[in-house]
Amino acid sequence: MHTPDGFLHPWMVGALLVVSSLVVGTCLHRLRGTLSTARIQLFAIVTAGIFAAQLLNWPLPTPVSAHFVGGALAAIVLGPRLGIVSVSIVLAIQAFVFGDGGVLALGANVFNMAIVETLGGYAIYQLLAGYHRPTAIVAAGWGSITLAALAAGIELGLSPAFGYELVTTVVVMGGGHALLGVGEGLLTLLGVWLLETTGSPASDANRQGAQA
Amino acid sequence: MNVQGSQIDRDWMIKAIGGLALLVAVSPLFAIGAGAVGYIEPLEHAAELTGASDHATVIVAGLFTDYGVPGLGTATGTLVAGAFGTVLTLGVALGVGQGLAE
Repeated sequence: MHTPDGFLHPWMVGALLVVSSLVVGTCLHRLRGTLSTARIQLFAIVTAGIFAAQLLNWPLPTPVSAHFVGGALAAIVLGPRLGIVSVSIVLAIQAFVFGDGGVLALGANVFNMAIVETLGGYAIYQLLAGYHRPTAIVAAGWGSITLAALAAGIELGLSPAFGYELVTTVVVMGGGHALLGVGEGLLTLLGVWLLETTGSPASDANRQGAQA
Repeated sequence: MNVQGSQIDRDWMIKAIGGLALLVAVSPLFAIGAGAVGYIEPLEHAAELTGASDHATVIVAGLFTDYGVPGLGTATGTLVAGAFGTVLTLGVALGVGQGLAE
């Protein structure tokens, strides 16, 4: 879902760079002076884990495939603000070191995968966690990547490079990721389970993150 | 053992870093598999359908373009690039985390 440079309309590139910078900057400002050593450990491992998990392009026997993104996982175990910072770090390293996603399009990619996906996943999780937590985690993973893909589809569909074919981009992006997003949901559940069963303070971090 | 408070939990960190190493270790298998099935994401599919593919430009190719290393094959290149990226991400996140420490 990493948008390369050249795909988006220049005004959209600029606008999303500004919006994403403001959101990430606000998160960093609000988080300043709040992280314990344990939270820093968890934040670093989750961020590196998201990068490593995104290395795995799932070779599915389907017309399109995808890799794990991790916005919902970051939000659930770190809280929304630290989750946004976590995924943003991954996206910046991918753009500048690996050429994955454009450097000018970084604002759009942060908006889609770090902001929309993380906040969307967190909202779904909070809405459903009181009923059945595992289902809430799967739904958060699935819903979050679908929302991020819809955001990307709208951005692409409003850009001249895509001939303003908004319906096509929204259907392909939203529909494709709605199907593939089941995997994102299951991997999010696996990630949360692994962190909790290996002794990380995922639940405590979540509570603290929600307050931070 | 939970990693709460101000102490570093070395046991948990060792387990977690082992998990990261496992993810990196299996990444070449996924890279080879993706190549074998002609891996394509919905975004690339949308670009093909609308004729946008040729509009993609590269401003910064990066040190390890497409998670590969010049001169190395897919498996070894993915392994080296993935290990470098994971260690770099861990280091950057630790640095940012220290900057946000209480």
